[in-house]
Amino acid sequence: MAENGESSGPPRPSRGPAAAQGPASAQAEPKIIKVTVKTPKEKEEFAVPENSSVQQFKEAISKRFKSQTDQLVLIFAGKILKDQDTLIQHGIHDGLTVHLVIKSQNRPQGQSTQPGNAAGTNTTTASTPRSNSTPISTNSNPFGLGSLGGLAGLSSLGLSSTNFSELQNQMQQQLLSSPEMMIQIMENPFVQSMLSNPDLMRQLIMANPQMQQLIQRNPEISHLLNNPDIMRQTLEIARNPAMMQEMMRNQDLALSNLESIPGGYNALRRMYTDIQEPMLNAAQEQFGGNPFASTGSSSSSGEGTQPSRTENRDPLPNPWAPPPATQSSTTTGTTTSSGSGSGSSSSSATGNTMAAANYVASIFSTPGMQSLLQQITENPQLIQNMLSAPYMRSMMQSLSQNPDLAAQMMLNSPVFTANPQLQEQMRPQLPAFLQQMQNPDTLSAMSNPRAMQALMQIQQGLQTLATEAPGLIPSFTPGVGVGVLGTAIGPVGPVTPIGPIGPIVPFTPIGPIGPIGPTGPAGPPGSTGSGGTPGPTMSSSAPSETTSPTSESGPNQQFIQQMVQALAGANPPQLPNPEVRFQQQLEQLNAMGFLNREANLQALIATGGDINAAIERLLGSQPS
Amino acid sequence: MPGGVQVSCLKSHSKVSGGGFKPRKLHSRGVKVPRNFRLLEELEEGQKGVGDGTVSWGLEDDEDMTLTRWTGMIIGPPRTIYENRIYSLKIECGPKYPEAPPFVRFVTKINMNGVNSSNGVVDPRAISVLAKWQNSYSIKVVLQELRRLMMSKENMKLPQPPEGQCYSN
Repeated sequence: MAENGESSGPPRPSRGPAAAQGPASAQAEPKIIKVTVKTPKEKEEFAVPENSSVQQFKEAISKRFKSQTDQLVLIFAGKILKDQDTLIQHGIHDGLTVHLVIKSQNRPQGQSTQPGNAAGTNTTTASTPRSNSTPISTNSNPFGLGSLGGLAGLSSLGLSSTNFSELQNQMQQQLLSSPEMMIQIMENPFVQSMLSNPDLMRQLIMANPQMQQLIQRNPEISHLLNNPDIMRQTLEIARNPAMMQEMMRNQDLALSNLESIPGGYNALRRMYTDIQEPMLNAAQEQFGGNPFASTGSSSSSGEGTQPSRTENRDPLPNPWAPPPATQSSTTTGTTTSSGSGSGSSSSSATGNTMAAANYVASIFSTPGMQSLLQQITENPQLIQNMLSAPYMRSMMQSLSQNPDLAAQMMLNSPVFTANPQLQEQMRPQLPAFLQQMQNPDTLSAMSNPRAMQALMQIQQGLQTLATEAPGLIPSFTPGVGVGVLGTAIGPVGPVTPIGPIGPIVPFTPIGPIGPIGPTGPAGPPGSTGSGGTPGPTMSSSAPSETTSPTSESGPNQQFIQQMVQALAGANPPQLPNPEVRFQQQLEQLNAMGFLNREANLQALIATGGDINAAIERLLGSQPS
Repeated sequence: MPGGVQVSCLKSHSKVSGGGFKPRKLHSRGVKVPRNFRLLEELEEGQKGVGDGTVSWGLEDDEDMTLTRWTGMIIGPPRTIYENRIYSLKIECGPKYPEAPPFVRFVTKINMNGVNSSNGVVDPRAISVLAKWQNSYSIKVVLQELRRLMMSKENMKLPQPPEGQCYSN
């Protein structure tokens, strides 16, 4: 078997090659050996001196294969042959085969192969995965990847976490991905009506403190907001889902065109970082963070493939996609701030208004809201949080100005849909109720945690009373109970571009003075003590309310009245006068030159003490 | 790390009888071939370039009398993310080879299912030929299987580290 009696090297346990033997020349002269060079496509035989270097070998190869030597990669026995090595060094003897890979720009010849192995799978060459891999790998373009990454980021965020905000993200994504749902939402008449009120939208938008910051930094945004024409147009578009899609698509196209012009990408990036990102952060911080933070930093390992399915519909990150709030996890605090998310505008104002609309509508359409509401009602602190938000106030104000809207909203409330009787009861009381809501005292009372606690105590007391001494409070009905606070807070309930108000609806049974008896149905309409509602502290308003609704008089009515008065008397308003509260702000406004103290006060109350917003309001209301 | 003593879920057949010169029926079942003979055959195959040229293997050290340490090379299949890349591997055939599967490890960094991303070790439980090893399998089979897996849907698009990087150990 000693065919190659070469003196080369140690007794390697290699058998002789089966191929043709090289001539056994004198050992002094280098032997010419035949080496086969094999690519997946072809095979060539080379006769080279045995002691040649790999480099020389490559040169010979490059001529035959018509490539550059530096494009050639030689592999033998699982090792790459380096140029400075020799063939002998690697034990390349006569008749052995060396593998060749030709690296070229496009596809190297050495690799255009079928898998020739026993397992024999079919090469399912999908060109699409190839083309998708490129966008995935280029993380540097937030816009190009933006829509994909954002949504994908959302999905990856929401996948395995029980965090409420992340679940929200997940729901958000699902919502976004379902065009039918979006369409439904947009067609919700409440959404439409809300959208048709540019003032309302503007208030919402302005109410977000981060938005305000943004506005300060970028005055164009405030111009945008203050321009009623633009707002109206935006809202028009927002109301019409088809049009909205068109707009989004155009915007998307424009953006991608913008990308392609030189320097355009930078401009986009600037735009993104200056405007969109803070807005996204503002809107989404309660949603689990900016979805784009992840796309920028991480190496989208496999997360980005959400191709064209949603691209057109959401070219830009949609911060306003509503948090469906279907998860009854405990971070209900987020729902408070989630309301604050509903308002921003940007170059993609349309997207945002649409989102705000989505916000509203989705709140209604999610059945899961009920459980959330329940949770919230169990925690009065949350309610206080919610109510103290300035946007609440603005919302209520606008509601009061538009009783029809209020009626509609109330009707939409899930609580009432099941009970048409309640609706009937509520309807006539709406105007009065709204009036009351308008009362800043009401608002401040509602935002006062102690007041709310007191209300709860009252309710509990009444319940106890009802069970202990039913004779005293006969024929009090849950309906009435609902009616009581229902009128107080009901209409406000369904309102919500700011979801959190919803929870107030179930709050009704907790209604204060409410004849909250668990007894039978019917009975006096919500009238009795209806007005009394939210404020045992509202001494002034309470008695007036009780007179408004009429009821079967008798002991019930009187009883309630007495109770109310007693409560009113026992609990003097616990809140400082708004004037006192806003003393500092008033002074500031005065110093700035707003001399109309009344208007200042109103503005401050409406904005909850936010000076900047108050100034905006004041400026907006002045004749220009 | 001891080579070749990974997941060896095989029931051991009758031990290889020492010294017997078995006929060259390596690929028929039931014939036990001495380890060294097997490995010598594989070495020859590797040098001759059996196969389609997309995988290559050989002894890491030509002086290695135990034929334990091998190097392998896989050429990344086309139309995948591995295209145009050459992956180097280390293969260890332990004393029980070929009854026990070899221990395989990538030297070139790769992102692929079944390969440990920090040290390149191929998880024998994740690769079918290693998990269900048969003594008729060989290093070639392992390399070709890994290459085939590179073309699978789950792997063919995984983003890869920059070319030319190697694991540190």
